[in-house]
Amino acid sequence: MNSNKNLSETIRRIVADEELSDERDVRAATAPFQAEFPYEREEEAQVTRREFCNFLGLTSAALFVGATGFAAKAALDSRKSESLAAARIDGAEILTPNSSLNFSYPTERDSAILVRTVDGAYHAYGQKCTHLSCPVYYSRDHQRLECPCHEGAFDVATGGVLYGPPPRALDAIEIETRDGQVWAIGRSPSAPKDGSS
Amino acid sequence: MGALETLIMKSTSDGNRQSKSGQAAVWQARLIMLVMINIAQLWILAATVDAALARHYSVLLPLVIASGLCFVITLSIIKWWRPTSRKKTSSGYVREDR
Repeated sequence: MNSNKNLSETIRRIVADEELSDERDVRAATAPFQAEFPYEREEEAQVTRREFCNFLGLTSAALFVGATGFAAKAALDSRKSESLAAARIDGAEILTPNSSLNFSYPTERDSAILVRTVDGAYHAYGQKCTHLSCPVYYSRDHQRLECPCHEGAFDVATGGVLYGPPPRALDAIEIETRDGQVWAIGRSPSAPKDGSS
Repeated sequence: MGALETLIMKSTSDGNRQSKSGQAAVWQARLIMLVMINIAQLWILAATVDAALARHYSVLLPLVIASGLCFVITLSIIKWWRPTSRKKTSSGYVREDR
């Protein structure tokens, strides 16, 4: 009788082909409060392989969207050509040689830096480092523009890369002097170091 | 307990164990591939940011295509690369559906 029961149970298991959970290491209830407040521990305890797979799939989608978005924005920005209005740079006329002044051009969000070199010439550049957009500053001791984030440096006269990771020169801001005042009249993005685009 | 029953019990137990370990191996392989693809995509995203900031526009499209390809492979792994069958035989071997 007993053997018949076992045989039936065995056959039932084979026929049913039950889908077993692939979780083998689910935490057991150990603390008293866990017995008093029962809940589906198997669902709660751990992340299943299936959930982790789905998470990796979502991560893959997010990385793809990120890469596409970044590339699309860069491509759109490269095609945007706008005529910029001239803007007076306040305080430029009283700038002493071997010093710098921050200003915004062409919009308030675009920070820029005006440098008056030792010989009295003015040079202006966009303040974003071309490596990862940290703001550059003028080093009076070394007479060059330096990026504090990854130690890149730019030539103050040309905006070209002296050393460090930046892949191209700083964006130059065209300036001119009108009646003793310094005006920004345009902005020209720099080309890549190897000339490709 | 009869000899036949003992034999069936043993073979079923061995079969389940083999089948489960096979499924676990497939799951492990899938996870490893997905993680590797995610790492590759992370590298591609970093390269895209680098190229965009450096204004190397000619490499942006290949990078986006590569990232898309990785995403398609990820989807195919999640959707279709599964154990072929869950039907277990008494000998423990997996039988394909016909």
